[in-house]
Amino acid sequence: MSTSTLSQLRETDLSYRATLVGGAVGVFVLIALLGLVFPESIWASLLGIVTSRSTLESALRLSVPITFAALGGIFAEKSGVINIGLEGLLIISAFTAVITTAVIGPGTVLLTIPIVDVSLTAIWIGFFAGILASVLFSAIFAVVCIRYKADQIIAGLAVWLIALGLAPFVATVYYGGVNTDNLGTSLGTWTIPYLSDLGFFGAFFDASPAVYMMLVAVPASWYVLNRTAFGRHIRASGENPKALDTVGVNVSRVRYAGVLLSGFLSGIGGAALSLGLGQFIGNNQTMVNGKGFIAIVAYLFGNYNPVGAFGASFLFAGLDAVQIRLQQVQGYTLPDSIIQTIPYIMVIVILAFVGRTYIPSAAGEHYDSGDDNR
Amino acid sequence: MSTAVHLDEITKRFPGVVANDEVDLTVERGTVHALLGENGAGKTTLMNILYGLYEPTEGTVYIDDEPQDFDSPADAIDAGIGMIHQHFMLVDPMTVAENIVLGNEPRKWLGTTIDRKRARQEVIDLSNRYGFDVNPDDTIEDVSVGVQQRVEILKALYRGADILILDEPTAVLTPQEVEELFYVFEELTEQGKTIIFISHKLGEAMHAADDITVLRDGKNVGTVKTDETTSEELAELMVGREVLLDPKAEPQAPGDRILSVDGLHVDDNRGIPAVTDVSFDIREGEVFGIAGVDGNGQSQLVEAITGLRTPTDGTISYKGRNITRASRRSRIDDGMAYIPEDRHERGLVMDFDLVQNSILGSQHSPKFSSGGQIDWPGARDHTERIIDEYDVRPPHATADAESFSGGNQQKFIVGREFEREPDFVVATHPTRGVDIGAMEFIHERLLDLRRQGKAVLLVSSKLDEVQGLSDRLGVMHDGELMDIVDPRNTTEEEIGLLMAGERTPTNTSAESPVGDAQ
Repeated sequence: MSTSTLSQLRETDLSYRATLVGGAVGVFVLIALLGLVFPESIWASLLGIVTSRSTLESALRLSVPITFAALGGIFAEKSGVINIGLEGLLIISAFTAVITTAVIGPGTVLLTIPIVDVSLTAIWIGFFAGILASVLFSAIFAVVCIRYKADQIIAGLAVWLIALGLAPFVATVYYGGVNTDNLGTSLGTWTIPYLSDLGFFGAFFDASPAVYMMLVAVPASWYVLNRTAFGRHIRASGENPKALDTVGVNVSRVRYAGVLLSGFLSGIGGAALSLGLGQFIGNNQTMVNGKGFIAIVAYLFGNYNPVGAFGASFLFAGLDAVQIRLQQVQGYTLPDSIIQTIPYIMVIVILAFVGRTYIPSAAGEHYDSGDDNR
Repeated sequence: MSTAVHLDEITKRFPGVVANDEVDLTVERGTVHALLGENGAGKTTLMNILYGLYEPTEGTVYIDDEPQDFDSPADAIDAGIGMIHQHFMLVDPMTVAENIVLGNEPRKWLGTTIDRKRARQEVIDLSNRYGFDVNPDDTIEDVSVGVQQRVEILKALYRGADILILDEPTAVLTPQEVEELFYVFEELTEQGKTIIFISHKLGEAMHAADDITVLRDGKNVGTVKTDETTSEELAELMVGREVLLDPKAEPQAPGDRILSVDGLHVDDNRGIPAVTDVSFDIREGEVFGIAGVDGNGQSQLVEAITGLRTPTDGTISYKGRNITRASRRSRIDDGMAYIPEDRHERGLVMDFDLVQNSILGSQHSPKFSSGGQIDWPGARDHTERIIDEYDVRPPHATADAESFSGGNQQKFIVGREFEREPDFVVATHPTRGVDIGAMEFIHERLLDLRRQGKAVLLVSSKLDEVQGLSDRLGVMHDGELMDIVDPRNTTEEEIGLLMAGERTPTNTSAESPVGDAQ
């Protein structure tokens, strides 16, 4: 009985997503039609924004941290550990990446001497330091959740809150303010000759190295999850850890791997975010500003499929990019603060639809192999 | 014939309990050996020792005459032992083939990638070799429990098991699937595999095993050849005294009508009609049985009567009042007790202790509460009484419901419901998963209620149970009440045909006389 409802749930689920995607396409077509029919209207400028190369460029750039955090979240949750601390991992890696680059850069970091030249090597060392910090944080989270069986949600919130306090605090100690100084340089872009001249789609070939990494990481994650023994063990560990244990695979080890991978991937996302700008901004919710939580929505909407999660991340990032551009368009009376909420409204709409995502059965549950009873 | 397994004077002590007491067990290669005993007799502990889950306190395990020292199931698997647990260890959203190779996936490309083609082929070969009918590409959640069990067996065989241990393999199967399982046993033993299965059902052991070992209170009380023994002898070995295997209700004139169901239609969770146009009456001093293969609308019918599901059409009257839409609480207050079919979901709150569970449904009753406060000492006494009277083991009132075995949980639920002093009991599968001693006891209590002039609606998939206890027997098929028969003048075959949905003119109907009486 329960089995048939499960598979039914998945079918209805698919149709929900199909409806949503269909709706999005419909809205786009409507905008396009309105824009073509009334060339002078707000719709025309909206169409211009949506189809411009620079919007695609910024959408790709903005989707990097969300996508990486979402991929990380998939590995952790598929293995049975809900990592709600993705936001914190993004913050800690974003901050560590910048401060490491600053510290080891040729210019001295301290306030007195302005930083003018930071070599690319320093940037990349900072990039890996950011990843390492995120992995270390996720390792603590993993030990607390797996070894000591803490509540995963509370431990995840702790990761976020600690990162949220720690990064601006250290920045204040170093720079006297919650923001770091601008490094004066960034990851920059890698331009691929010829392909980058492809007009609209040229944006894919004239992008930050992190964008290329993302475009590789998405299919790679899918492959690992679906085609390797490790991926199968991750899935089994989140569905029925006992089944995995009885065939002789160490469940804890698989879960540690899942959580550490989430730290690794989120670390790339966070480091790319701050090094893309060349600065860590610690105001309010920091420059990460909810991207880790949107990542959770993204992988839920993508139904734990890396490709779907990327699609969702790209959708949010795209809306964000459109929103930023819309603020520059004249000719309508909507206040900017309302425009800024568009991506978040979209998140709520989507959350209402994903209420029925198929969540791994054992996600959030501790697994006790029964060793203690022996 | 050689000896596959020999357990030599195995003793297993847990703090405060001796689970196995110098148990000897010898199993010949290529045979089916049943390990029979009541709940708590130590069957599962013994098999967990053989499977390396527990280390014996004393004694030695011999496999093929070699002494073994298993530290973990991995060692037992290496020695060719496979165990199929009562709760299947399968990953629901994965396919049959994925589950079978889990943990031992064939690889390609320097071990980076699963060779799915080879995995699938190996599963097909294995399944053909033993005559199993499984499709490697089906998803586990879409296949029946019987197929899931075969997947578990294949999983063990894939890992090279020669000796298969099955813990209560028939508990979750339909009668037809049980037959198929026993056929699988034959196939396996013909190819030299050895099977040990745990059961507390006499009939199954007699039917499927070559040898039967009976455990009682952790001791081996006898190993017998199946063709040299009788059910009565085995029952006596199991329980330690003579047992009444066939419940029989003595004739008794029924009283007034207490429940009447008229033209009832009920939908299931998906909104599909599950019960169509069902009508019957139950009178005081009567056991009304409902037979049928599980999933033919019995659950929804019972839920409508107990107030857990609203019917789409029709009426239910109880003690002369229309209660079709009455709340569950008002039904309980009116003396309707309910032994639910799923004890985990509806019978008990698993992480509550027995005291808390004992007053579920009676929490408003003045017996246990005053001024919005629960009388915990009173509830505790009440719990101790149930434990004592219904022989719930171990007798720990403050232990979580979860920590009890299925049979003891069931005894506790039955006790709680009967202690409400009900006028009408809805009992669904009241003896599912309990041992024969407890089964006899529950049957006796149901008949007691009948003697006291109470009414019972008994739903069970065990035909001998409903047939033996009921005064009248309704047979359901596909949501319809096929017929109401007199169980004493109807053969099992006739009921079986009705269960399969065939209406024959020869069925002896026992239409309720209620309509004309008084």
